[in-house]
Amino acid sequence: MIKTENLSKIFRTDEVETTALDEVSFEVKQGEFVAIMGPSGCGKSTLLNILGLLDNPSGGDYYFNDKEVSTFSERQRAKLRKKNIGFVFQSFNLIDELNVQENVELPLIYLGMPASQRRKRVEEVLEKMQIIHRRKHFPMQLSGGQQQRVAVARAVIANPHLILADEPTGNLDSANGEEVMNLLESLNNEGTTIIIVTHSQRDAEYAQRIVRLFDGQIITENIK
Amino acid sequence: MIRNYIKSAFRNIVKNKFYSFLNILGLSVGLIAFVFLFLYINDERSYDKYHENASRIHRIESNFTIAGKHEMFAIVPIPMGPALQLEYPEVESVVRIFGAGNSLFRNEEKESYEEDFYFTDSTYFQVFTHTMIMGDPDRCLVEPLSIVLTKSIATKYFGDKDPMGKILESGSGRQFKVTGVMEDVPSNSHLRFDALISGTTLAAEAGEEEFNSMEPVRFWNIGVYTYLMLNENSDMRSIHEKFPEFYVKYMKDIGDQVNASYELMSTPLTEQHFSDHLSSDQPKGNKAFIYIFIAVAVFILLIAAINYMNMATARSTKRAREVGIRKVAGAYKGQLIRQFLGESLMLSYISLVIAVAFVYLLLPDFNLLAGKSVTYDIFQNPVFIIGIIIIATIIGILSGSYPAFYLSSFNPVTVVKGAVSKTGGSGMLRKILVVFQFFIATAMIISTIIVSQQLSYLRNKDLGFDMENMMILELQDSTFRAKAPMFREELLQNPDILGITNSIGVPGRNTWIQVVRMEKDTGWIDESSIITIVDYHYFDVYDIKLKQGRFFDENMGTDAEEAVIVNETLVKTYGWEDDPIGKIIHWGFDLDGSGGRKMKVIGVIEDYHFKSLHNTVQQQMMFMADFNKANLSIRINGENLRETIDHIEEKWNDFGANRPFNYRFLEETWDEMYTAEKNLGLIFSIATILTIFIALLGLLGLSSFIAEQRTKEIGLRKIFGASMANIIRLLYKEFAILIGIAFILAIPVAWYVLSLWLENFAFHIQIGVLAFILGGVMSLAVGLLSISFHIIKVASSNPVKAIKYE
Repeated sequence: MIKTENLSKIFRTDEVETTALDEVSFEVKQGEFVAIMGPSGCGKSTLLNILGLLDNPSGGDYYFNDKEVSTFSERQRAKLRKKNIGFVFQSFNLIDELNVQENVELPLIYLGMPASQRRKRVEEVLEKMQIIHRRKHFPMQLSGGQQQRVAVARAVIANPHLILADEPTGNLDSANGEEVMNLLESLNNEGTTIIIVTHSQRDAEYAQRIVRLFDGQIITENIK
Repeated sequence: MIRNYIKSAFRNIVKNKFYSFLNILGLSVGLIAFVFLFLYINDERSYDKYHENASRIHRIESNFTIAGKHEMFAIVPIPMGPALQLEYPEVESVVRIFGAGNSLFRNEEKESYEEDFYFTDSTYFQVFTHTMIMGDPDRCLVEPLSIVLTKSIATKYFGDKDPMGKILESGSGRQFKVTGVMEDVPSNSHLRFDALISGTTLAAEAGEEEFNSMEPVRFWNIGVYTYLMLNENSDMRSIHEKFPEFYVKYMKDIGDQVNASYELMSTPLTEQHFSDHLSSDQPKGNKAFIYIFIAVAVFILLIAAINYMNMATARSTKRAREVGIRKVAGAYKGQLIRQFLGESLMLSYISLVIAVAFVYLLLPDFNLLAGKSVTYDIFQNPVFIIGIIIIATIIGILSGSYPAFYLSSFNPVTVVKGAVSKTGGSGMLRKILVVFQFFIATAMIISTIIVSQQLSYLRNKDLGFDMENMMILELQDSTFRAKAPMFREELLQNPDILGITNSIGVPGRNTWIQVVRMEKDTGWIDESSIITIVDYHYFDVYDIKLKQGRFFDENMGTDAEEAVIVNETLVKTYGWEDDPIGKIIHWGFDLDGSGGRKMKVIGVIEDYHFKSLHNTVQQQMMFMADFNKANLSIRINGENLRETIDHIEEKWNDFGANRPFNYRFLEETWDEMYTAEKNLGLIFSIATILTIFIALLGLLGLSSFIAEQRTKEIGLRKIFGASMANIIRLLYKEFAILIGIAFILAIPVAWYVLSLWLENFAFHIQIGVLAFILGGVMSLAVGLLSISFHIIKVASSNPVKAIKYE
């Protein structure tokens, strides 16, 4: 499903040139659950952003569903992204001004789904995430675990083939963290491909494969 | 402490260059507009106040009631002033001012027509205050044939030579001796003149006794501008109260005979500039314009102040940390309020300095545009200086107080933790302020459109006659007037001269109104009518349409003396609709009803406009009479205008007109009647452009904050599938709704105010939807345009930044 060859990303400011990714080549198959680990600043998030089509690499190739996308325009990436990829972030990144239901609904609006279908779909997903009773609440009124469940709901609402999670449990206590990981696992069991970035060995245990990054390079790849 | 405030204010201004620039630019432009509008208003309000005795001077005016109709004049019968002084001790002095018409003056070197020379009483300089350069103000108007020149007229005729005692000769051969020179009349005077001639000249010519006669009949001839100066502590009211006795003594007998009555009116000198328009009045100011300008000036400043409020509160999240740290360090709330007010005041004062510099630079342009002569002395006028400093302070405090109170009330604990709400102040309040700004801007755009529609209507309305390329030549010289028919024949030889008519009175000039008797079933009734003395060619040359009957015919011998042509309005006013042709009008009769001339109506013409479109069409009659007619109307072929004018001038001199060739085009005369409206339109357009400009600066700043504030939200929307177009639409929609609300509020206000303004015109446009649609579209377009830069920028930014934002 995903394949990179010699992927690199260099950030430039006026004075400094930082290599965030250095010739990374790896592959993720349909239905896999992969964890990316590594110390802070090793390039995990940069890799995830590129895999999620939020950013273009500076060099190398990136095949998404066998299509080379590394030079796609913003518009092309957005089109591909909204149909195929869901995101979960460490800091939840819910829109403060929208309530739970509206936050979750957002991707469907941009897919152009009619309102009646959207409502049904949102209800289904909120039910599944056990957050339906909070549908009218605003993010500020929810606990961290609840917010992350909303964020996961938003990530899966459009039935993406791939979910990218950037330290999804980083801001949660262990009980809430486990709950979120269980959610991701069950999504994976239903066939969704999942890539998470994490510091936590416990979270990584949920994955079938762990990729370790150090200074922008893959140092080990182990299949459990 | 103060130094710390100033330092911190200054650093904040420098640090936020973009917003400081927007604020200073907006406030400067606002203050420039405010100062100029203030100067305009101040000048308008200063009219005639420079006379030392201003508060004691009143102009007396006439209200005649003839056959049940009121006719109000700015002038009173010639003996009225002296008679009032005779009867009432309250009257200390009387000054009468007699027009001298448009006449020729010359000395050895120079000859020219003068329209603004007036005859006046010798008391003039005791009542009115002017600066004499030469001559004795008490004596200079005593002797007959004395003339006091203004400085510019003295220079015009005598150059830099001493004019005192020199002779200025009039076209009719009178020899005036210069007995004084005075500074030019200030522009803020309702009574403007270039020279004053002793009234005793008229007395000497008419005979002392005749001139000063207080015979009853003399009170029924309309006459002169008359000013009374009352004793200290006297009141014009007491004279009005006693006037009925005066009326019985001097006027009642004749009034009863002619079925008329008379009432004395008066206006204080200092209110002259704004008093109601009366017949024979001087052009003057319009109080409604003043109120409009005051409102505009205040609004422009308010809009600039709102910009500051909006930007300051929107930016508050960025300042919140500073507030928290200062509070933790021990600052009281009051100290923080003072600090933030210091910033807004500093911005306001910086803007004031810039504004004053621009006012200084633009003052000559302002004078030209507004028809004022404000001098640079204003910059040394303490009242002006203190006034603008006060205004800048008020603006600084007004715009700074809300942000100051808002920012200083942050709780240091939440602030330091970084938990201040991201909306940055009350989003609702900011929306209301934006709506208010656009409400004003939209109302002004709509008003500007309607004013310009009315101006174009005034220019283009079919007036019922043709004034294109119509030259008006005044025939002042009686010998030349006798030659007018030959002159006419000679000119008509030129194929580029299309028609010539000789008349007393042409459309837009020389309105002669007189009481005539009309034939009714019930007998004769007295009515007033505009009278125009014409010739056989008048209707043809002016292209006036016949409605009924016929025009004058040279083959009908009696037309010259027994025929009259009237307009439709006259027919309607007198209820002659059934059959106006053949009705009799009696004109020029004596008080006892004898004499005069009885004329038969032979034709009715379609109404044409004889006065500006401020006025309704009045009843008018046109007939021929053996006067030496005075206005030659010459229609010229527009293609050879220049050559034809030269040709006419050549013939003018060939025919021995011993006057300079002095002509006007009728179109210019009509144009001048709308000068006040044109100035209003112009000033209003400029004010509108400035208002919009300042409002746009505000939106530019605000959109930048909103873009910044919503970076995260927009980034997330993009991550979850929103396209750039989605985002732009989302943000546009929010502003468009605000502008839309402003538009809806602006509609009734603009409609109401403009309806009032249009009532000044007897003929005006109907306010149509077009102006509103156009105004709405324009304000929406400029509004959305101004926010586009930041919105497109944020909509196209990389969403990765958004999620890193925290």
